[in-house]
Amino acid sequence: MKVVEINDVYKTYHDTEVEVKAVNGVTLSFEKGDFAVIVGPSGSGKTTLLNLIGGLDQPTGGEIIVAGHRLSELKPSELIDFRMEHVGFVFQSYNLIPVLTASENVGFILNLQKWPKEKRKARTDEMLASVGLSDRHNSRPSQLSGGQQQRVAVARALAPRPEFILADEPTANLDTKSAETLLDIMEKLNHDEKMTFIFSTHDIRVMKRARRVITLEDGRIVSDVRVNNN
Amino acid sequence: MKDYQLAWRNLWRNRRRTLITAASVFFAVFFALVMRSFQLGTYEKMYRDVIESYTGYLQLQHTDYIDESSLDNGFVIDPEIISRIEGDPNVTAVIPKLESFALAASGSRTQGVMVIGMDPEDEMKGLNIINRLVRYRLTPKAVEALKAESLPGRTAKLLDVFVNESFTDEASLISILGIGRTDTSDVLPLFRKHAAFENGYLTSADSGYAVIGNGLSEYLHAGVGDTLVLMGQGYHGTTAAGLYIIKGIVRMPQPEIDNRFVYLTLDDARYLYAAPGMATSAIISVRDTEDDDLVMTRNRLGQITGDGLAIRTWKEMNALLLNQMEADNKSGAIMIGILYLVIAFGVFGTVLMMMAERRREFGMLVSIGMQKGKLAKVISMEMFLVGFLGVAAGVAGSLPIVFLGYARPLRFTGEMAKMYEDYGFDPVMPMLLPDTYYLWQVVIVLLILLIAITFSVRKIFKMNVINAVRA
Ligand SMILES: Nc1ncnc2c1ncn2[C@@H]1O[C@H](COP(=O)(O)OP(=O)(O)O)[C@@H](O)[C@H]1O
Ligand SMILES: [Mg+2]
Repeated sequence: MKVVEINDVYKTYHDTEVEVKAVNGVTLSFEKGDFAVIVGPSGSGKTTLLNLIGGLDQPTGGEIIVAGHRLSELKPSELIDFRMEHVGFVFQSYNLIPVLTASENVGFILNLQKWPKEKRKARTDEMLASVGLSDRHNSRPSQLSGGQQQRVAVARALAPRPEFILADEPTANLDTKSAETLLDIMEKLNHDEKMTFIFSTHDIRVMKRARRVITLEDGRIVSDVRVNNN
Repeated sequence: MKDYQLAWRNLWRNRRRTLITAASVFFAVFFALVMRSFQLGTYEKMYRDVIESYTGYLQLQHTDYIDESSLDNGFVIDPEIISRIEGDPNVTAVIPKLESFALAASGSRTQGVMVIGMDPEDEMKGLNIINRLVRYRLTPKAVEALKAESLPGRTAKLLDVFVNESFTDEASLISILGIGRTDTSDVLPLFRKHAAFENGYLTSADSGYAVIGNGLSEYLHAGVGDTLVLMGQGYHGTTAAGLYIIKGIVRMPQPEIDNRFVYLTLDDARYLYAAPGMATSAIISVRDTEDDDLVMTRNRLGQITGDGLAIRTWKEMNALLLNQMEADNKSGAIMIGILYLVIAFGVFGTVLMMMAERRREFGMLVSIGMQKGKLAKVISMEMFLVGFLGVAAGVAGSLPIVFLGYARPLRFTGEMAKMYEDYGFDPVMPMLLPDTYYLWQVVIVLLILLIAITFSVRKIFKMNVINAVRA
């Protein structure tokens, strides 16, 4: 089942004197349960592509369809609701709301979605447990390590059961051990919850764990390979 | 997690900044309120002094008198009308008054004066000129005698500063000469002994006597018992001239009044000006003195007076004084405006800094699905809470001071008092109780807040999410 369909998408930036084709004719789709990574040198368009898929940005050409929504047809405020309902985001850093505890951060989107309190608490507990932070419910982000913060971010992204999770270089700021732990957790969630993960990275550790590697260069896909690594 | 809970927690994430912002708002509101209270209190005292010693709240006048205050615009007092005015529920007394100009001479000095003729018994029902009688005077002789006594050092030193100064009551003596609370009972008898001023007041039966302003007395070098010559023009151009013994000296509130004040009995004044049975006005004392009350009373009395006569309020009669105060008030308002401008810039700077620092956070929140409107609501709440904290503290902090300053007006001592005295004003700064000026300060701060909030909200709505998360 296709979760994301990208048809001949372009994204051109004009705001400098030169025109930059950050995404230059990409056609691509993701299946439910994908554990895919987008790799490529810095400036190859990974972030731009993820932003387009997540509805943070609109393409200058082509079409993106996510869970039956044509993103180009959504108004800005509808795009925000679309993201809340269908997309989980994990950023490279500064993912969490500093004044909220770990469990409040995890429950934040559930709260936006107006889940009833009991259900919200159950789901939050479940998610914190699945990222191995059952004992850190009441910790503020500043009391957590970088790796723990990323795990909370993953738990938050996953809690409302989005269509897929977008993670732009999620391990870039992590040491090897924390990065491995995070990948273990994501792999497990991918397996247990059939959650689709789409990363970008130029971290070789992440690449090795992916089951699909899409390589970008100058905004074009130069290879898209499925690997069987277990 | 409710929006206000998030706002509340955000408020305390940078405790120092929140407190500094709230403190600056507090400072502005507190300072502005105290300053306003002093300023408005001072005006109020000035108005009250003039009203209670000179114009009264309302006057019955010939319609033309307000434009040309001359004897020729006087009128014959009709006892019938007077008694009907006295019958009004808000009226406590009616005091016919004949006022005109004259040249006063005593010894070799002359001065243009205003002669006021009233019946002393009537006058005391509505005005309080008698409270202004000079009771103590620090003549050089008195100062010498006092110095020979054992006075507290500070008071002894201040005696030289206040040589020839006159005092109407012991309270001002105590405050102006810095007599300590514990010394009062020892020192006051010494002043009573050496500096008491023999003074008298008019009675209805008096004829040929005058009470004059302290400023006039000083200028003419004329004291109690001296003779005062008055010369001028009487009703319809007759010659007015008379000789009076100075019976009392009063300190009138305004220097312009004090330097020209000559008070005769109504009969003497009528005789001097050849205007039997006439008056230039009748002061109407009232019970309720608020503007609304005065207007209502005036409207009622207007039905009684008939053609040719009019009821004037103290505001109409003191237009000049009101204008002066209005001008002074403007300068005060400008000062406060500058103060608020400084505070506004401070608040704005803080908001700018806060918005810049939290850009990534805002970007992240909108990325994961928080509507911009909801985010704007949270941020507005934060800012409103800080402002409210500051305003509430400012109002709360000012209240005890304003109430205290009202109950026990600030009185100046020594040099500061001297400055006031030299200008002919009482060295007192009373405060005005909370009034609409409180409301205004709150409105101004809310306006500043509103501008800052509008700015932030706009910035949130214009935020480019991708740039914000990348920053
Ligand atoms: N907002 C923008 N304005 C102008 N150019 C941009 C903007 N965002 C990205 N780019 C350009 O687009 C290209 C792709 O950037 P990006 O998607 O961030 O690459 P990556 O994530 O692979 O490093 C780069 O050349 C970058 O400079
Ligand atoms: Mg990137």
